[in-house]
Amino acid sequence: MKRKGIGYASIFYGTGYGNGFPDESRATAELTKEGQIIISVGVSEVGQGGLSVMEQIAVETLKIKKDLIKLQYNNTSKMRDSGTAAASRQTYNTGNAVLDACRKLKDNMNKVKTNKNLENLYVQMKDCNIDTKTEGYFKATTSEVDLETGQGAPYWPYTFGVQKATVEVDDETGKVDIIEVTSAFDAGKIVNPITAQGQIIGGSTMGIGYAIMEEVNLNQGDIQNKNFSDYIIPTSKDIPKYHTYFIEDVEETGPYGAKGLGEPAMLPMAPAIINAIYDAIGVRIYEYPATCDRILLAIKNKNK
Amino acid sequence: MIINGKSYTKKIDPLLRLIDFIRDEAKLKGTKEGCGEGECGACTVIIDGRAVNSCLVLAASVNGKEITTIEGVSQGKLHPIQEAFIEVGAVQCGYCTPGMILSTKALLDKNIDATEEEIKESISGNLCRCTGYQIMIEGIKKAQDKLKKR
Repeated sequence: MKRKGIGYASIFYGTGYGNGFPDESRATAELTKEGQIIISVGVSEVGQGGLSVMEQIAVETLKIKKDLIKLQYNNTSKMRDSGTAAASRQTYNTGNAVLDACRKLKDNMNKVKTNKNLENLYVQMKDCNIDTKTEGYFKATTSEVDLETGQGAPYWPYTFGVQKATVEVDDETGKVDIIEVTSAFDAGKIVNPITAQGQIIGGSTMGIGYAIMEEVNLNQGDIQNKNFSDYIIPTSKDIPKYHTYFIEDVEETGPYGAKGLGEPAMLPMAPAIINAIYDAIGVRIYEYPATCDRILLAIKNKNK
Repeated sequence: MIINGKSYTKKIDPLLRLIDFIRDEAKLKGTKEGCGEGECGACTVIIDGRAVNSCLVLAASVNGKEITTIEGVSQGKLHPIQEAFIEVGAVQCGYCTPGMILSTKALLDKNIDATEEEIKESISGNLCRCTGYQIMIEGIKKAQDKLKKR
């Protein structure tokens, strides 16, 4: 018989490398003589939407039409390092560096009074010896935790999130169907709602995989299930109905109030599903993933 | 064979896979190889109206057939499916996208009124690790509306 259950889980997760590890981002903003603004930033775009976010921050800060701004990226011969697209850090850390560079350029541009176009502005700035190229920099301020005293500030800022999973568990076969997932996250001000929602839904789907499907089977260090036919990840038929909400509690140190949002999206999903399974059939699963055989075994042990 | 309306005649190794012919002989790099063993769907192309994993097909076996790759979907301008994917934000890393769009096209060419279940079934052979599928499904529904209005 199929039994329905609801489970919740919540997390908080620090943005950036943390623990005092050097965490720096850099960006350059330059007004060219052709009247274009070039933002050079070492953000790695892997589909998470980092480029869109940097462009939005630049447009917002410079208050200039989007087509006059050109983003230069992914070329280490033309820009300085902004660290990895990891630790959910690019929007917060590199976004802050872009903000810094653009604010400085904007200040310089404001030193010259002109209502003409950017080409004229460039000429006037050069005449007045004002820099048309500015460097932006951001370093996260974290410190290593003292293991003796427990003192230290390992991360700043923190992203908060809670997810609710509604599942159906078949107590005869052990199969779990995820029916509905609701997510609510506080990642500060959301810079790009479309890509942020994409991160949440994608992360949740990965969390579903970890909760009920994905397992690396090792035999003396050798992975036994190396293919997609035996290492199963969610397909379009395994996903629930997703609902996503953002609580936009502005983070004062973030670019326009933003915090990190990448990994946090994935974290509460698996424990929420395990809690929902408990709610449905009254058994606790202590080993991921909650596959049919583990659930049936848990039911059998409970009924002993 | 005919790829995107262009005829290709070539002497080839009988063991050459269709994906290698498309990428290396026809030089159409939009078709991606993922797993290379028919499990992920990244290399999906349309052969005579059916969505097929091009890594599992020998090029010689499609002699005379009509093949559509992602390059053949947009004719001068973006196809409504592509427009819809962009509008809703269905693309993240993009590696599964060409295959996803071809599976969608094969479905909608046959059944423009496909239900959500039919849509999910038709793209279930295309694995995606980063989007979570839901926005793609919304994109496909939007493409249905666009195609009906044409």
